[in-house]
Order: sequence, then structure tokens, then C-alpha cells
Amino acid sequence: MTPVSRAAAGRLHPFTPLVLTVCVAVLAVAAPGPQTAAALYGVTLLAVAAAGVGRAALRALVPLAPLWLFLFLLHAILGEGDQVAVLGLSLSRDGLALAVTQACRLGAIATASLALYASFSPARFVDAVAERGWSFSWAYLVVATLLALPRFRARAVAILEAQRSRGLRLRGSLLNRVRAVGPVTFPLLLGALAEVDERGFALESRCASGVTRRTPLDPPRDSLGDRVGRWLAGALAVAAVLWRVLR
Amino acid sequence: MNARLLALLPAAIAINLVIGGLVNAMGLPLYLDSIGTILATVLAGPAVGILAGVIGQVLFGLINGYQWIPFGLIQVVIALLAGVAASQAGFRSVGRSIAWGLLTGVAAGALSSIISYVLFKGVTATGTTAVVTVLRQLGLSLPVAVTASSLTLDLADKAVAFLVVGSLVRSLPNRMVGRFPRAARAIGR
Repeated sequence: MTPVSRAAAGRLHPFTPLVLTVCVAVLAVAAPGPQTAAALYGVTLLAVAAAGVGRAALRALVPLAPLWLFLFLLHAILGEGDQVAVLGLSLSRDGLALAVTQACRLGAIATASLALYASFSPARFVDAVAERGWSFSWAYLVVATLLALPRFRARAVAILEAQRSRGLRLRGSLLNRVRAVGPVTFPLLLGALAEVDERGFALESRCASGVTRRTPLDPPRDSLGDRVGRWLAGALAVAAVLWRVLR
Repeated sequence: MNARLLALLPAAIAINLVIGGLVNAMGLPLYLDSIGTILATVLAGPAVGILAGVIGQVLFGLINGYQWIPFGLIQVVIALLAGVAASQAGFRSVGRSIAWGLLTGVAAGALSSIISYVLFKGVTATGTTAVVTVLRQLGLSLPVAVTASSLTLDLADKAVAFLVVGSLVRSLPNRMVGRFPRAARAIGR
């Protein structure tokens, strides 16, 4: 997540990558077979590279690799029906097609969502929401959570290290590790609840739950290209769903 | 939305996401990614728990890939059942917490197996899929293997999650419980 990305994706209106990502997910689910799914994954990879967030495609490979491996094992190798020889392996024809389709669907969705995360700017998103006159609370929820995540992760690591230095065993038998859940999670949960108290007062004093419309200082520009892109992507996704339902 | 809820929700969502990662790092065969949802439900009611669970799932999707969003439905079921448990003083003791956790585990596991089988063809989180692969090799059909694996893991996971939240809320000082009247009912105070 970058504050203001210099990549092309970061110059878009904050709603545009969001809409495009949702549309990729819809198109992936609607993709009927391996060719369509592979084409969608290819287009997504090209679009992500062109938007300057190509690293997201590489980062997506981390969660995708084990899924692809298990898809291949479960459907192509252990699958039933007609067998086909590929590189000396006897694979299920239907299972292989299913594995490729599902692998490309997941690839497209994961790549698009990680590219969105790489280009997401919380401040611009809040400004865009404020400019539309939409609820500040909802925008705050999304942004506050995204900003809280690294803070909570850092706190979790600190607690883990502190408990380990006091002799807590995090490895070994399953029972040992289950016993360690309490000493690791309780300090994090108690700290979170104490923070809720403090933040509640701070938000109250800033009238965060007020209904008055806020004025953004520097609202992001919503260009004609952004608007056309969003409408086209939306129309394509709706058409794909209709085609899948009606065919 | 009042300021206290506005402060509670991001914390609950972050708890879901961070503790899930922490447990994964400890090499435990559990998810524990619903502790924030259960905690938010106990403190502020099922509607808040549902919000925490669903928004958390959407943000988890943003970070790890949107393919996991359908599992947000399970968070809704967890929040609803945790809400019923809280209204019945289900977090009053260790035994009651575990019993409600197991009941929630059955519901969550059943729903999870349907989502895993229909949308993901049995291939989801690595730990669960490893169990499915082993069961398939033992000769079980894919739907049976997915259901058995989801139910086993969800039963243990939800029992531990309810136990953790119950122990936490019971250990809170009266001053803090007083700010969340539903929490007092959940632990029978």
C-alpha cells in the first residue's frame, strides 16, 4: 500500500482500480473453460504490468503456488475419467481442464486484488468518499483497519518475542503449541481493547460520527477516462454474468 | 455509527487478520481468524460482529486475493451463533464456551465444506487441502473428503476461539465490561 503511488494505477481515481478488480473477479467466476480463464489471467497480468504494479503479480504467486499444486494433485492426478499422457504422466482429461480453469481464475483474482492493494492510497480514498458525500464512517472503517494492520502485526511480533524470551515454547508438541495460544493472544486482545477505549474518546471529540457533510481539501480528479473505464468494465461483467446464466 | 463502535470495528477486524497469521506462524492446524468477530459480537451484538467479519473478509481478500471472499458467509454464521451464545450466557464458564464453540464449528464446517466444494473444487487453504488430498488417496470421494476435513478443523478451531474470547471477557475489569452491557450478559454477571 503506497501513500500516493507514482505508478499509473496510483494516478487513477481511487474508485477505478476498485471497480476493475471487482469486475475481474466477476469475469473469472463467469469464465466457462480453460481457454477463457487463461485469456482473462493473461489480460490481467498485462494490465497490471502496464499500470506499473507488476510486482503484485509476483507477490500473488506466493499464495497461488500451493493452490495450483493441490489443484493439479487433486484433479489432474487423482481425478477420474479419460486419461491423457502429459510429459510422461497419466492425467485425467477432465480433471486437468478443471485444474487449469480454476488455477487461472484464482490467478486473475489474486493478481487483480494484490495490484489494487499495491496502488491503494487511504487518504485519496477518504477524500473521494467525502467528495461524493458518502458516509465518512464507512470510509474510516476501511482506512483505519488498513492502517491498524501493520501496527497490530508489529505488536504481535513484539509479544511473541517477549513471551519467547520469558521461556514460552512455541514449537514442539501440538499440546505445547495450543497452550501457547493464550499467552500470545491475550496481551494482544487486551491491548486492542484498551486502544478501543482511547480511540473511542478521540473520535467522539472529533465528531467522527457526525452527519455533517465533510469538505475534502484535495479531492482526486475523476477524469472522463476513469468514468468510461468503470462503466465499460461494469457493463462487461454484467454481460458475462447474463451470458453465463442465460446460455 | 457511534464513536465507540467506530473504534471497536477496526480493532476487531485487525484481530481477525493478525491472530490468523500468528497461529499460522506457530504451525497450529487452526485458523483462529474469527476471534475478532466473536469478540465484537459479545461486546456489541451480532450486527457489529457480522460487520467485523464481512469487512475483515473483504480486506483479507484485498491483501491475499479476493478468491476468499465467499468465506465471509461463514463469518456471518459465526457472528449469529456467537450472538445467541452471548444472549444465553454462553461465555459464563469454560465448559459452556467450548460447547457453544463446538456447535458453531459444526455449522461453520458444514458451510465451509459446501463453499470449498462448489466454488473451489476442494482446493482452499493449504492445511485443509492437504487433509483432503490424504483422504482422497485413502479412497474417499471428493465431497466426503472435503466435508470431513472442514468439519474436523472447524470444530477444533471454533472451540478454541470461543474459549479464548470467553476467558478474555471474564478476565476484563468491571469498569470495562460496564461499557459493553451485552458482555456482562454473555458472562452471566
